[in-house]
Order: sequence, then structure tokens, then C-alpha cells
Amino acid sequence: MKLRKLSSILLATTMMLSLLLTGCGTKKESAEETKTGGSTVTEAPKAEDKEAESEKPAAASKIIIFQSKVEITDQLEACAEAYTAETGVEVEVWGTTGDDYLQQLKIKLGNNQGPTVFSLAPGSESEELKAYLSDLSDLSFVGDIAANMANEIDGKIAGIPYTMEGFGMVYNKSLIDATKVTDFASFEQMLKDQKAAGINGFSLSQESYFLIGHILNTPFALQADPADYIKKLVAGEVTMQDTPEFVEFGKFMEAIRANTNNPLEVNYDTETGDFATGKTASIHQGNWSYGMFTDYDVTFDMGMMPLPISGNDKVAASVPTCWYVNSQASAEEIQAGKDFLNWLYTSETGTKYLMEEFGFIPVVATMTSPKLDPLSQSVSDYAAAGKTISWPMSKWPTGIVDVYLVPIAQEFFTTEMSGTDFLTKLSDAFVQAGK
Amino acid sequence: MKKRRDMGWYALFVLPLVFIFTTVVIIPFIIGIGYSFISWDGMPLNEKTFIGIENYTRLFADMRFITSAGHTVLFTIFSVILINILGLSFALAVTGKLRVKNAARTLLFMPYLIGGLILGYIWKFIFTDVFKSIGEMMGLTKIFFSWLLDPTYAVVAMIIVATWQMAGYIMIIYINGIQAMPEDVLEAAKVDGASFWQTLLRIKFPLIMPSFTICLFLTLSNCFKIFDVNFSLTGGGPSNATEMMAMNIYNEIFSLSNYGYGQAKAIIFFIAVAVITLIQVSITKKREVEM
Amino acid sequence: MKKLGKIIFEVLVVAVCLVYLFPIYIVLVNAFKNRQELYENMLALPDSLSFEYFAKAMDKMNFLRAFGNSLLVTVVSIAIIVILSSMTAWMLVRTDHKLSKVLFMIFVATMIIPFQTIMMPLMQVMGWARDTLHIPMLNTIGGLIYMNIGFGTSMAVFLYHGFVKSIPISLEEAATIDGCNKFKVFWKIVFPMLKPTTATVMILDVIWIWNDYLLPSLVLSSKTLRTIPLSTASFFGQFTIEWNLAMAGLMLTITPVIIFYLSAQKYIVKGVAAGAVKL
Repeated sequence: MKLRKLSSILLATTMMLSLLLTGCGTKKESAEETKTGGSTVTEAPKAEDKEAESEKPAAASKIIIFQSKVEITDQLEACAEAYTAETGVEVEVWGTTGDDYLQQLKIKLGNNQGPTVFSLAPGSESEELKAYLSDLSDLSFVGDIAANMANEIDGKIAGIPYTMEGFGMVYNKSLIDATKVTDFASFEQMLKDQKAAGINGFSLSQESYFLIGHILNTPFALQADPADYIKKLVAGEVTMQDTPEFVEFGKFMEAIRANTNNPLEVNYDTETGDFATGKTASIHQGNWSYGMFTDYDVTFDMGMMPLPISGNDKVAASVPTCWYVNSQASAEEIQAGKDFLNWLYTSETGTKYLMEEFGFIPVVATMTSPKLDPLSQSVSDYAAAGKTISWPMSKWPTGIVDVYLVPIAQEFFTTEMSGTDFLTKLSDAFVQAGK
Repeated sequence: MKKRRDMGWYALFVLPLVFIFTTVVIIPFIIGIGYSFISWDGMPLNEKTFIGIENYTRLFADMRFITSAGHTVLFTIFSVILINILGLSFALAVTGKLRVKNAARTLLFMPYLIGGLILGYIWKFIFTDVFKSIGEMMGLTKIFFSWLLDPTYAVVAMIIVATWQMAGYIMIIYINGIQAMPEDVLEAAKVDGASFWQTLLRIKFPLIMPSFTICLFLTLSNCFKIFDVNFSLTGGGPSNATEMMAMNIYNEIFSLSNYGYGQAKAIIFFIAVAVITLIQVSITKKREVEM
Repeated sequence: MKKLGKIIFEVLVVAVCLVYLFPIYIVLVNAFKNRQELYENMLALPDSLSFEYFAKAMDKMNFLRAFGNSLLVTVVSIAIIVILSSMTAWMLVRTDHKLSKVLFMIFVATMIIPFQTIMMPLMQVMGWARDTLHIPMLNTIGGLIYMNIGFGTSMAVFLYHGFVKSIPISLEEAATIDGCNKFKVFWKIVFPMLKPTTATVMILDVIWIWNDYLLPSLVLSSKTLRTIPLSTASFFGQFTIEWNLAMAGLMLTITPVIIFYLSAQKYIVKGVAAGAVKL
């Protein structure tokens, strides 16, 4: 008797469990089905579900924004309040630590609690998540976005660019004459001269992109077809140690290790601080670093110049981040997300926030920035003169910089490893990470 | 009738918890095992392919995973030894007739209350900035430099932090064991003229063997599963020299988006934890009996 | 001579304790310094006691809110863990049946599952519960509490199980004869006797839940829901590490724990020891 009762309870429990399990199972299947139709950018599938009676569905009264650029968090919140004041649509901004943004985003998208509007780096990040990106081609201002700046996936506009950013050698004009540093020999000479004068000639810093990500971008960008080169590199068909631009990059890195302070002992804060106080003559940084100098009385003029690998005379400028709208949100939310982006890029208040508060370089023809800082101005000038190279680093295998490249760079800077060995390890890392 | 009512009570008392426990731990665990047989990046809309045990076979050729297992073992061995020696010494010190013993207990236990993540941040500052400044001030740059940048010293740093966190906790357990010792045995030893070391080795140690089993179990499983400190102190660097298994799994799943593969690693990790702790408990239990 | 040795020993112990607290000293003194002062000398006492950085850190971390959230999560999770686990453990001990044994074995066995093994599937199950059953498990305090209960039960059941076995059944039988139902027997007679274990469970769980980072970071998205470890982590944003401010933030984070410890020290030490011995 007792046993029977017990087993009936057990049965009930198991049934409950199996219910849960099959529930999960069916969900997976349906997700799989969506997938077959979803290899391209999904066009708001839920809108179709509801047999979209009109072209423009009613917009939801609340949107959620989740984005990776920690520097603009406060300003974005203010902007969100301004939007609510003007339109009555509530905007919630989720916080991020920056470091684990992508992981958090993936978890949230993966279990359907994704934000309405979010940010990604255009390239392999947006490619990997393309099933979650709405088609934004119908936003009113897309026609005005500067050439190649919007993130197009499968012929549709999926990402709206934040800003343009550029990096290269940020240098102290009173210590370095940019016209004289144009190739490896003059670069190395500059390092030696500065060292002799008791000044650190060039500085990287320990953070992943500042240590290896950005500087390694340059030899990639100098390839005739960077995207193709990455594919071949990952497939093991080419290696860096056999590519002239990379060999030269290896020489640069050796010269940097031999003649400057160990970048592993420098962080972003001290790197920019030493530059601002004249202890370092040049740093490998981008226009975003200008904000770090406002704490100091900088007494010299600064500018940005290309890192002269193989005589390169262009700075690396591109769109670091784009806005995307979550295709898995309801049609109303998607509409609300698009409305927000339209407002941000076309209304007076929205553009004011973009230009003045966020400090973005304009990427839409109708926008102008009243006053750019010297570094942003440099980038803007290089762009206007057509002297920019791209950011193939956005097409590197996901996660490669932190997980693979940083450890190799750390090893390079703490041992006597040769430039060739360094390149061999980097090539291997691309093969590994691409698996 | 009574039986039926008993069953009702049984269900009322047990079912709610079993239900919650099942949905939070058991079901995800089973699903997790399932995912370890597919190749997938973790995003529901992206492609999943069933690949059988390929994730598991691939594991054995994954040098990075194997190295991280090596680090974990190395780290665990040193930490477990250090934590237990220090914890036991503290316990012996503060169970004596000291005036400051209560204050000492309080202070030594304190680090355990601070979460691993926060601990990592605190020590990161010490090992990088404070060490550097001490070295420059005292001219001892050979000893005091940024430890987290040197592959060997970074592991040492991990061990120090883990020891600092756990030793006070382990001390409490040893204190408990020491206080449970029968007074008369110790008295008798004293009367018989046993020296300090004789008492310690012949009488005290055997008597605290049960505490030792527990402490070993706790330190072993905690050190083996370490994540928080690893995450915030070294992030696995430099050159992956401090990447422990839990961290490796976390990276595989989240940074490299190899969800199925990472899940396979996690299952292997679980088996390793289970085997190690079971072996340890059975060995030390046996010794307890013999003593 | 022997007395001298004792004094030396005593001094030695004090010295060790001071060295042991060195990290906390570093956090404390640097929380009062400005950046320049901090970089000049990290070991020295601050020139002045300005609480400027505490105020700033408090504001940036939204400390009071985070503190409230942490408190809510910790208190409610533990209350439910204590209630449900003690009831379950008592039933499992007092009902001599195979099912009880199997359930207990499962509880014990799952204690060694590393969290990494189940975190992603757990998020999917919870996402499914939200979408299909419309139970808001994600991005809610309630959801986090639910999951905390799930993770906390194994150990709690285990500890209660051990204790219940050691208390004689005669009192319960007497109460049953007096006409008490099981519910009454448990709450009137058994639960009060479980007090030492309850204290142990509460203390171990406070230490765990208050400091937990990974689970809350997966469950909670909204800024307003953040617990203390989450807001501390967000403080260490990618590039702008201002150590003095960070130290103030860390000090704020660890202060409640230290106060809690000092005020309940006796119970904590006992509880931790008791919990461990039963393991």
C-alpha cells in the first residue's frame, strides 16, 4: 500500500519532469525551424506571425538598451531621459562592466530575455549573431550614412554606426617630427634617440587591444584583401612569418621591446598619464584616449600619425560599434527600437547627444560636430583625405585577442623570443581559434 | 487510512523542495550532459549538429585544456598543503593560554567572509601597484615587482591569495577538533613527562585526524573548483600560466562560443572533482579507523 | 625564562595577525587618498580623512539600492532554505523508506557539481519557464531567490539530516499521541530543537549568497536589481580604473560583512565549525 502511494508520487514527479524536458525539447525544435529560414538577417519574424496588418506596427511603450561602451553610460542615461520626456516612451538602460558584455548579451539573447536595442562590433560578432538582428534598411537616415560605415549583412542594413574611431601613433609634436618617422629604420632611430634623451619613445599598455589587438591590425590591413588573408591564415594556407608586412611588424615589435619600457607594466591610465606629462613621446592609441588627458595640463600639441609598418602612411579608422535591434523582440518593440534610433540620428536633441555628449565623430552626412578634439580632428582629416586603412581585426575569430593573442604577446614581452617565433605562434593561434 | 495521510504529509514536506531542486539542479545537469554531444555556439537560432563523442575525444588533444588541468593540480597541491599547515598552526597557537587568542581568531577568520571576487580585486592591486612601489622604495625590485606578470610568481600569487582566504576557515575546524580532545589524556601525558613535540605528534595529531579528513575535503574541492579569485586576480594570465580548469571552461563557453565543447569539458571536470574527493575521503577515513 | 618565551610567542602571534590584515589595511588607507597621494606612497596613512571618495563610490555603485537588494535576496533565500530543508530532512529521516534514502543520496551527490556544468542549461530552463509558463524567472529578484534555494538545499538538507538523526524520536511520538498532526509536531517540537543546525545553515549561506557573483550576473540585467558584488564588478569598468575610488568601493563592500561578523562572531565560529564537522 505504502509502496504504491510512493510510486504514484514518484510517477507524478517524473511526469512533471518529463513535461519540463519535452517542453524544452519542443522549444529547441522550433528554434531549429526558425533557423532554416533564418540564415539571413531575420526580418522581424514575429511581425509576420501577427499577419502584420499595416506596414508600421504600433510601437511599444518601453524599450531596453544594452550596450558595451562604458564611457558613455552616464550620458546615454541622460539621453534616455530626454527621449522619455519628448516622446513618453520609457527607456531602460542596462548596465555592463564592459568586460563581460558580449557574454551577458549572448546569454540574454539566447534565453529570450534580450534587450530591444544593443551594440556589437560589426564583423565576426555581428556575423555570429545575425539571426538576432533586425533589418534596419527602412530607417529614414540610412541613405545619409557615409559609405561603408553601416554594417550590411546579406545586402541589408543591420547595424547603425556609433561613430568613427581611428588609431595610430598619438605623438607629442614637440618631441617627434612626424615627417621624419616614415619607415622601420627611422622609427627605430626615433626610439633610440628618445631613449638616449631619457624619454620612453613609444608605449603600448597591458590591456588586450592596447597590447596586441590594435597594433597587429596594421599588417592585416596592409594586405591586398585582408578578409581573404584572414581566411587563408585560419585555414593554414598562409603564415605570417612568410608575409613581408608581418615580418616587418615582427621587427617593429623587437625594436619596441628592446628600446622602450615593458608595456605589461603599463596600464591605460599610466600610459596616457606618462604621455601627458612628457615622459613618453608617443603611444599607440586612438582618438578615444583624448578624454584621459583632460585631468592634466598638457603643455604641448599632439597629433596622430600612422604606424609606419612597410612605409604605411594611413591611420586605421573604422566603426568600432554599431547599434542593432533585436529581431526576436515583439514587432511593437522592434518598431519602438527603430523609432529610438531614428530620433537619435535625426532629431535635434538626439544628434546633440551624439555629437556633444558622446563626443562622436559624425558618420551621417546631415550631422556636423561643432568642435572636435585634436585627435578626433586628426582622424577626421585622414578620413577626408582618403588616408585610412580598415579594421580587419573585427573579422578575426571571436575571442581570439583575449584568449590567444594576449598570452602570446605577454610571453613575447617577458622573454627573448624572436620576432619570427612570435609570428609563428600568432599564426598557430589563428589556426587554433578558427577551428 | 493513516498510511494515506502519512503519504500526504510526506509529499507536503518533501515535494516543494524536491521540485525546486529538480528544476534548478537536476534538469539543467541532464540537459548539460546532452549538450556535450553536439557542436553548437550556444545561440538557439544558430546551427546545432550532433557529433557524438567527438567533443570528448577532441579534449585529449587540447593542449590548452590539459595544461590548465596541470595548473589546477599544481595549484591545488600547494594550496592544500599550505592552507592546512597554516590553519593547523593557527589553531594550535590560539588554543593555548594566550591573552590575545580571541582577537587573533577573529582577525584570522575575517578574510573568509570577503567574497573571492572582491579578494581578487584587492590582491590584484597589492601584487601590481603596491609591490612595485615597495620594491622601488626599498630597492628590492628583485622580490617586489609586479608578480602577476611573471608566469611562476603569478601562480604563487594565486596560492597566496587562496591560502589567505581559506586558512582562517580551516583554523576554525581544527580548533573545534582540538577542543574536543579529552582533557585527561593530555593531562596524563603531561604527568608522564611527555615533551611538547611528543604530545603534539603522538597524541594531538592522531586525535585530530577526523578534523583533518574534513579540512582536506574542503580545501581539495574548493581549490580544485576555484574560479572567482582566478577571474578577478589574474584572469588566467600571463600567457595562460594561471588558467585553471573552471576558468578554461568559462572561456571556452563564453569567449570562444564553443558551447557544446565547453559543456563536455565541464562534464569531465565534474567527474574529476567527484573522483578526487571520493578517493580522498575514503583514504583518510581508513586512516582514521587505523589510528 | 619560560615567561619570556611566552611573551615572545604572544608578540609573534600579534605580528602574524597584523601581517594577515595587511591587505585590508591597504584598502582602508588608500580609500582616503587622492590619486596623486596614492601613487606617491601606497603604504602611508592618508594626509587627511576625507570621505569624498566613499561618497562618490556610494553614489556610483548605487550602494544603498544594491545593499537593499543583497539584503532582500539573502534574507528571503535563507528563510526559505531553512524552512523547506529542515522539513524535508526531518521527513527523510523519519520515513524509513527507499525513496527517502535515494532522495538523500541525490542531495548529497549533487553537492560536488561545479556551477559551470549547469549554468547555461539552467538559464535556458529559466528562459523557457518565463516564455512558456509566464513565470518571470529571469531579471527578477524572485527568480534569483528561487535559484539560490535550488543551489542551497543540498548542503542544508545534509546538515539537518545529520542532526535530526541524533535527536530521540520519543518526544515526537508523545506529541503524536497527544493528537498533534505532523505539521504541528514539526514546528512545535522538532524545529526548535534544530536551532544549532539552523544557525549553521544560516551562517554558511549568508557567506555564500552575500558574496555570490556568477549566478546573479547571469540572472539580473536591470541596474536597479543589482546586488553588491554586481555593482562592485561594474565599478571596475574596462579602462577607467581609479584605484582610490575603487578602494573606497571595496571598503564599502566589505564593511557590512565585517559588521555582521563582529556582531554575531560567537555563532559564526560555532556554526562554521559545526557545519564542517558534519560534512
